[in-house]
Amino acid sequence: MQTTAISPLSLAPVSPAKCSDSFRHLPDHARTAFEQFQAGGDPAALGPVMFAILTDFSPRRSAVPLGDLPGDTQLIADLGFDSLAITEVVFTAEDLFGISITNDEIVQVRTLDDLLGFIQVKVSDRRVA
Amino acid sequence: MPPLPVITGLGFITSIGHDRAAVGRSLRELAHGFERVEFFGNPNLPVKVAGTIKGFDFPTPNWRDWRWPERFTVDRELLRGLAPHGVYALCALQQALTEAGLEPAELSDGTTGLFCASAGSPFMLGSFLGQMHETRGERGNPMGLVSSIAGTLNFSLAAHYRITGAVCGFVSACASSSHALGYAMDEIRLGRQQRMLVVGAEDMTAESIMAFSSLRALSNNPDPATASRPFDRRRDGFVGTGGAVAVIVEDAALARRRGAHILAELVGWGQAGDGHSVTASHPEGAGLREAMRRTLADARLNASDIGYVNAHATSTVAGDRSESLALHAIFTRQGAKPRVSSTKALTGHGLSMAGVMEAAFCALAIDEGFIPGAAHLEEPDPVCAGLDLPRVSLAEAPGIVLNNSSGFGGSNVCHLLRRPA
Repeated sequence: MQTTAISPLSLAPVSPAKCSDSFRHLPDHARTAFEQFQAGGDPAALGPVMFAILTDFSPRRSAVPLGDLPGDTQLIADLGFDSLAITEVVFTAEDLFGISITNDEIVQVRTLDDLLGFIQVKVSDRRVA
Repeated sequence: MPPLPVITGLGFITSIGHDRAAVGRSLRELAHGFERVEFFGNPNLPVKVAGTIKGFDFPTPNWRDWRWPERFTVDRELLRGLAPHGVYALCALQQALTEAGLEPAELSDGTTGLFCASAGSPFMLGSFLGQMHETRGERGNPMGLVSSIAGTLNFSLAAHYRITGAVCGFVSACASSSHALGYAMDEIRLGRQQRMLVVGAEDMTAESIMAFSSLRALSNNPDPATASRPFDRRRDGFVGTGGAVAVIVEDAALARRRGAHILAELVGWGQAGDGHSVTASHPEGAGLREAMRRTLADARLNASDIGYVNAHATSTVAGDRSESLALHAIFTRQGAKPRVSSTKALTGHGLSMAGVMEAAFCALAIDEGFIPGAAHLEEPDPVCAGLDLPRVSLAEAPGIVLNNSSGFGGSNVCHLLRRPA
């Protein structure tokens, strides 16, 4: 099948910094955790970063910090996320952690644990690769 | 009795005030809403003045950086998909619903529709497309499309307020919200809806306003006190503004059943094209003249019945001249002499939202019994000779009021409003 070039086809990786505009709004502890992750790949640093991203995109202000909620808390049913908000969270995670997530994978993510576990696996895969 | 559309609520986020009281005061005292501005951080630009929206700040396209007066509530969930003018619109609509005595929960039963007008958000669209170019299509803000394209206003507000009646956006440049209001009147008159929310809004950004500098349509006068002076011999272009205005239109019978205060009846509207130029108005105002004639016919009124005309006049050399000629054709030649003023002398030109903004000013003037004066008019253009252009606002009931609007392509739209019987 012939491919028509709508834009240049020889793509170099997109700079991770390109779409991380939302990161500058995250609280200090999340930024520090992200620096730890960048420096040493500490997987424990993923949690604070992901909860901060989720809080940033959360449609409602939760009385309880998201990190203190049960792991089976549902993003859509319990926290009021819509599919686009989840997509925004995923895009931010992709940019920060240099991972790639497909649409099929996004729809499998339903709970807080799903999301954190999924991101950890993705990051581990990337490091192995 | 056929349904009669009436106005029961107004909301304003404008350069001359963010509530009915402030706007009424500005119109009476002829206090303008202009400030010196520096678009694109470029001191060399000849455009120095704009109708700024005080208390709101949109320094970047990132909603986390946006600020608005504390008295307004903007849901976080909604904010992600809004343009700056969507924030203005939400604040204006909250006011209008409060004045009309309506709760958001009352808008979802299918009897209420929503007609909006904005040009979309060049500010948000530029950012969104810039991101896509920068990442060569690998990324785009998921809310980039809905927050930027023409229609952003109607689909954001319709979803937020759970509107299940008629929902539509109107795009006829500077006649857009006049079309929205006219067709909203028809929805009521045809019995299709009992209530219509009509909202016009525009960003107040360099991207929205400076685009008109490319057309040489903006004033280069650096003095906020004189840059916008419709009908004055020394006028040199319009001053841009943004903001939002919301109007609640209901069937009079419903409004009376609810015990709502009726500010004004909407007794007629009409439109006509110039069939002339994509940007310039017809040199003799042929389309506007015909639109006024059709509007009077729609209401079964004569030129001599009209007490006040809120002119479209934006302070451009050609546009004000052609409107003057159209006004002479409809009024002066019939021996009629309504008061005439353009409130754009105070607000600037609100582009898509201008028509509904000025219809709201007319409703306010009818309800409070005053006529806005022709601000900043010192040396009337000779073409205006014979028009009654009061230099100060008058503490007199305006009678039946005609509201004029014109847009690109020669779209001309007029409305007639009067005090409730």
